[in-house]
Amino acid sequence: VHGSPDSTVDPATLPRPLDGAEEVKPSGNLNCNPRYLRLTINAMPNAHSLMSRWHLPLGAVTHPLAEAPPGEEVPVVNFAGTIVRCRRCRTYINAYVMFTDGGRRWRCNVCSLLNEVPVDYFCPLDENGRRRDAGERPELSCGSVEFVAPTEYMVRPPMPPVYFFLIDVSLSAINSGMVMVAAATIKASLDKLLGFPRTQIGFMTFDSTLHFYNLKSSLTQPQMMVVADLDDPFLPLPDDLLVNLSESRSVVDTLLDSLPSMFENNVNIESALGPALKATFMVMSQLGGKLLLFQSTLPSLGLGRLKLRGDNPRIYGTDKEHLLRGTEEQFYKQMAADFSKYQIAVNIYAFGERYTDIASLGVLAKYTGGQVCYYPAFLALLHGEKFSYDLARDLSRETAWEAVMRIRCGKGIRFSSFHGHFMLRSSDLMALPAVDCDKAFAMQLQLEDTLLSTQTVYFQVALLYTSSTGERRIRVHTMATPVVNELSELYKAADVGAIASLMSRLAVEKTLQTKLEDSRQACQMRLVRSLQEYRKLFSVQHRTSNRLIYPESLKLLPLYTLAIIKNMALRGGFGDCSPDQRSAMGFQIMTMSIPRLLRLLYPSLIRLDEYLLQDSRGDGPAGLPAPLVLSSEQLDPRGAFLLNDGLSFILWLGKVLPAEFVKDLLGPEAAYTTDSTKIALVEQESVISKRLMSSLQALRQSCPAVYQLCTAVRQGEQPLEGTLVLSNLLEDRSSGATGYADFVAQIYRQVSQKI
Amino acid sequence: MDFTELEGVEGVRLVWNEWPSSRIEATRLVIPFGVMCTPLGPIPELPLLPYEPIFCKGCRGVLNPYCRYDTDAKIWVCQFCFQRNHFPASYHQISQQSLPRELFPTSGVVEYVLSHPLPGLGSSSGMYSPGRAAGAGGAIWPPAFLFVVDTCVTEEDLTGLRSALKQLMSLMPETALVGLISYGTNVQVHELGYADLAKTIVFRGDREVSTQQVHEFLGLTVKQLRGTGPSSIGLSGVGRFLSPVAECEFSLSTALDELQPNPFFKELGHRPKRATGAALSVAASLMEGCVPNIGSRIMLFVGGPATVGPGMIVETDLAKSIRTHQDLDNDRAPHYKKACKFYSQLAQRLVANSHVLDIFACSLDQVGLAEAKVAVDNTGGMIVMAETFDSEQFKKSLQRLFDRDADGLLKMVFNASVEVMTTREVKVCGAIGPCSSLQKKGASVSETEVGTGGTSAWKLCTLNNKTSLAFYFEVVNAHSNTIPSGTAFFIQFITQYQHGSGQMRLRVCTISRRWCDADHVQDLSANFDQETAAVVMARLAVFKTEHEEVFDIMRWLDRMLIRVAAKFGDYTKEDPQSFRLASNFSLYPQFMFHLRRSQFLQVFNNTPDESAFYRLMINREGVVGSLVMIQPTLFSYSFDGPPVPVLLDVSSIGPDRILLFDSYFFVVVHFGSTIAQWRKLGYHKDPQHENFRKLLEAPIEDAEALLSERNPLPRLVVCDQHGSQARFLLAKLNPSITHNSNQQGSEVIFTDDVSLQVFTEHLQRLAVQG
Ligand SMILES: [Zn+2]
Ligand SMILES: [Zn+2]
Repeated sequence: VHGSPDSTVDPATLPRPLDGAEEVKPSGNLNCNPRYLRLTINAMPNAHSLMSRWHLPLGAVTHPLAEAPPGEEVPVVNFAGTIVRCRRCRTYINAYVMFTDGGRRWRCNVCSLLNEVPVDYFCPLDENGRRRDAGERPELSCGSVEFVAPTEYMVRPPMPPVYFFLIDVSLSAINSGMVMVAAATIKASLDKLLGFPRTQIGFMTFDSTLHFYNLKSSLTQPQMMVVADLDDPFLPLPDDLLVNLSESRSVVDTLLDSLPSMFENNVNIESALGPALKATFMVMSQLGGKLLLFQSTLPSLGLGRLKLRGDNPRIYGTDKEHLLRGTEEQFYKQMAADFSKYQIAVNIYAFGERYTDIASLGVLAKYTGGQVCYYPAFLALLHGEKFSYDLARDLSRETAWEAVMRIRCGKGIRFSSFHGHFMLRSSDLMALPAVDCDKAFAMQLQLEDTLLSTQTVYFQVALLYTSSTGERRIRVHTMATPVVNELSELYKAADVGAIASLMSRLAVEKTLQTKLEDSRQACQMRLVRSLQEYRKLFSVQHRTSNRLIYPESLKLLPLYTLAIIKNMALRGGFGDCSPDQRSAMGFQIMTMSIPRLLRLLYPSLIRLDEYLLQDSRGDGPAGLPAPLVLSSEQLDPRGAFLLNDGLSFILWLGKVLPAEFVKDLLGPEAAYTTDSTKIALVEQESVISKRLMSSLQALRQSCPAVYQLCTAVRQGEQPLEGTLVLSNLLEDRSSGATGYADFVAQIYRQVSQKI
Repeated sequence: MDFTELEGVEGVRLVWNEWPSSRIEATRLVIPFGVMCTPLGPIPELPLLPYEPIFCKGCRGVLNPYCRYDTDAKIWVCQFCFQRNHFPASYHQISQQSLPRELFPTSGVVEYVLSHPLPGLGSSSGMYSPGRAAGAGGAIWPPAFLFVVDTCVTEEDLTGLRSALKQLMSLMPETALVGLISYGTNVQVHELGYADLAKTIVFRGDREVSTQQVHEFLGLTVKQLRGTGPSSIGLSGVGRFLSPVAECEFSLSTALDELQPNPFFKELGHRPKRATGAALSVAASLMEGCVPNIGSRIMLFVGGPATVGPGMIVETDLAKSIRTHQDLDNDRAPHYKKACKFYSQLAQRLVANSHVLDIFACSLDQVGLAEAKVAVDNTGGMIVMAETFDSEQFKKSLQRLFDRDADGLLKMVFNASVEVMTTREVKVCGAIGPCSSLQKKGASVSETEVGTGGTSAWKLCTLNNKTSLAFYFEVVNAHSNTIPSGTAFFIQFITQYQHGSGQMRLRVCTISRRWCDADHVQDLSANFDQETAAVVMARLAVFKTEHEEVFDIMRWLDRMLIRVAAKFGDYTKEDPQSFRLASNFSLYPQFMFHLRRSQFLQVFNNTPDESAFYRLMINREGVVGSLVMIQPTLFSYSFDGPPVPVLLDVSSIGPDRILLFDSYFFVVVHFGSTIAQWRKLGYHKDPQHENFRKLLEAPIEDAEALLSERNPLPRLVVCDQHGSQARFLLAKLNPSITHNSNQQGSEVIFTDDVSLQVFTEHLQRLAVQG
């Protein structure tokens, strides 16, 4: 080893995901599309000994309801009789099963049991032993298929989609304009709610008291009923708190029109969230459904009352630090368990200007398949657009109700841990009161036997759910993967996206049990150990002992590892990020699909000024300029840049940009405002503004899960530039965190030391 | 002496109009020194004085025509405490030729218009402070009317109730406040002042919520955010829960229109969960928070038994039946005592705040009046019993409550107190009526308690110009201290009340009677008012039913009657045949006979709720009305001439007669069988039988006239001889002929009750035994 570490790393040669979105091709035409299911390695180690040398997570990431481009939708199969499944392991019939005995029996690809073919499913085989009808039957020719389930898959008749809105109407909720935006958005979304004409809807508002609404269709206007008994909340009415939307439409409309003005002068600052949740549970427990909670302040009254606990800097670095990221109140866990049991999914929209304890609230979403959307210091004028989009999407995206999901795999392998938002029922059944196209789940697996005897291992994800139309369905994704006995084979088949996804979930989960520093360390050590193993294997061959070496498939892993460490969920300490933002980010990561996660880990940075002025297409995605290295060196004071991490857009404006350009882009008023946090980006009467807007629109369409709000930041505008731009320039060395080049050098040193 | 004539002038009737001057002699008269007082009885040409009364500085008695005064020295002497008082400066012009109105000899009763309520009156305990009722500048707040509506009723009942309440709103003064509570399983307080939507605050029905918590839940108090300091009434509920009729007419109508029958699941075999007690408790708390000490009414409209929470009288399970008199007697009514306790506590809260409770019970079942009666009685409220909310009886009774006087003002008065001043030798033992004690101790208060005693002042949250109180007095003068016969003694009734105009008024009624020598039984008996005596005894007997067994009360009545007969009868010892009573006493035994048989003491065939209602009614009615209740009147209409009163006896029934029977609660028009037949044949439609038509119409018209005088409305029964409805008449007639008699061909009554004749014979026998 000679030379300083710095000299060993040439930043220019470091690998980066700049060639557009990574595309993972389906492997084999009988496997399901990777948008639904990806393994961290597209190969299975055949033995414990081999697996123990693979230091990265071994598992799968599934996105069962991922949106498919037109023409690639999952085919629906409606069996006349019962669905054909393996008698022993309950695997669903799929393209990999083998038919024998002239088509009278079939061998299960997962457990190898020979099953009888039901009489009404019989079909003779062709000369290759393939069923003659295989081509016409999606379940025998596609990796993904959706079965319409007969009544035996129902514990009760399929319930209609239920939307229940629980809205904080305390002072801050009103003042921020949250209630106004929520009411307007819900009203505008009523026609898009799933499940017409069976859809059920209900509302409750609360501050220091609980407000129920009788929405009986025969009423001329809703009746508001206030219950102030927080110790023992009760329902003022047995019915009509949850009503059929089509029947009560005009009453619902009236309520939504009235909501903002009803509380216009409310000065109540209290929040009886716990009692409100208890009451909501009573309303919803019959049918289940989706609970949308809009919370603007820290719950202060009754059960589930929370304390200001996040703003204590002294707790950081101690062994109590992680408690801040978990829930303090057992109430929320118990409530989540009850919600899950009664098929209620909770989505949390939080808006607090001050500490709201997202860590505790989020537990409700975590165990019910829900999500946490956080709009810190929400102001309708600035953030209304984003909130409105996110809520509208929540209300209209495809949703599977009353769902359970299981992933099956061949003999000798067992899924050992699950990571995402769900409640685990029995050892491997994920209960999902509601699950939608924006939720992905990850799981790790283990070898049970010391040696795998088969050549191929099969995985099958089965999601049993009620569709919005009231049908019971099973969505099945099947995948085969070869068993290998060489470490090098594993490296070749590694899927860095899936690995990053699992690693980031594990890292987030670790922050709930340890200090942030420990979680970062653990993440880094995985990388180091993995590269050490690789070095052991190939150092001789490469003869480049003074360089960090890694397999081609994992070339981005150091970068992604660095990104995970520097992500808001893990970065820094007390001063670097508010506890609520950190928790909210953690909840996001736990449900994100792989492409979204990778965008978050390595945001795209593009230069826009020239592009906006010219009338031409760029080289990058969506006709925009090609993405740049994520470093402040790129930021030319004469230019305008867009930073996109998939959650938001930041428009960075250089100091010496022509004033005219800025004025055209932001509008005359905003151009001279010194505080960018007060600026909402609105389309101006200029060509460049229109072009910018349409570019942003195009980018948003490519990533529809959330709305990316665009914030303009001037060069040198602190602290905004620091928090929004500079801290997200991954490759930079920033306060307390290493830059990309330094990180690689550091990893190199660590990898080398151990040998 | 014509006692009714005197009543017309004074508004009072005394059992004895001359009193023996010694205590011992007085007690020998058996029948108490009762006075039936109608504090606001209509007095012709009642002087209405637009200035403040002059009070004695010694006893707070009011200057009256019986005072001695010296117009030269400008001095008057109080006849109760003999204090010499100077006339105030404003009276310096006084002379024999120019006397103030209150000193006119005809001014035994005068009424003052007060510029502000008199705080000193009757407020020794501090419990009564009408001063709080006055707003700035002495203006009195308008009354509030809080409707408490049971929703565990049928849609038809609800419809009837809605229209009745809407009509009621149009009868109220525009400034009157009105509010709405609806209840079933839960209790909902309607926030009528909320502009955006129909809004209610909901309380559980199965438990009692403390007043403080009700105030908190309603937002009437500002809860202390930090610390543990007591919460205080901060935000007014006026404008939110109680609003002027003129302002909330629309929201109240809408709220009424959208009232739904209680939607909570009603299990088969169960009664609906009806939280009447919790609703009333919330109502009382609401009123305490919004209109404390402002004369107001809580008006309960209930359609069935209370089955949950405080005041419940029966479980929801239909297998459990509602308590009967037998159950009460045998201690088999598990909820009774608890419910009674709840209502007596409620009564105290209501009285303390000058709030009246009215109950409109429209139900085939009992609703719990027996338990709730105390709260109605103590506050002077009204009970109406009808079968449905759609009935005329209910609707008319409700409307009549809001009758206006000639000036267009509500006849309803509020926040009244009656104080009694007496001559030294006389003390007041108590009062029986729709009132409660103000706990005013003083020189006039006797140590003996009769009814509500131990005080010389009583509060009436509301009353009308018929409401009568029975006062009981005793003579405390020692035998040795002889007072010349013919000397006068005085009693003064000082009634302060809030007039329908909002004015506070003070009516002062001073009466003067004479002492007499007890040896002159003739004089005593000549001044004996047997009608008043019967009513005063009836009130006492009914009062006793609260605490004593009916059997014991009967024996007490019998003993008293025998003693009266023995003392005042004219007879030869041991010779029943010789027994005679003077005309002033002659009807008294018969009144007692009917009282013993009346629904006030006989509970057979009546539910506890019905008994409670009857007892409540006699407790406030004047002498004439009470007598009708005790001994109904019976008139006969025939071709022989104008209607004539006939004996309340089964023998009065005849085929060619129409009887008009009036027991106050029931008015029965009974067509003899022949008349009924003619009517069925349609003779009255034939112009040739014009007289027959008139004969048919006359009793009906007279019945309607009776109905129009009373509130609640009596039940009108029109029936034919031998028809099933005739039972209402037969039950009340003297069973001179029963199925046990051997008399053929006439109407008989199936009863084992003794007849008046038998009763009288017994009495004569016992009286002459000595
Ligand atoms: Zn199998
Ligand atoms: Zn005096």
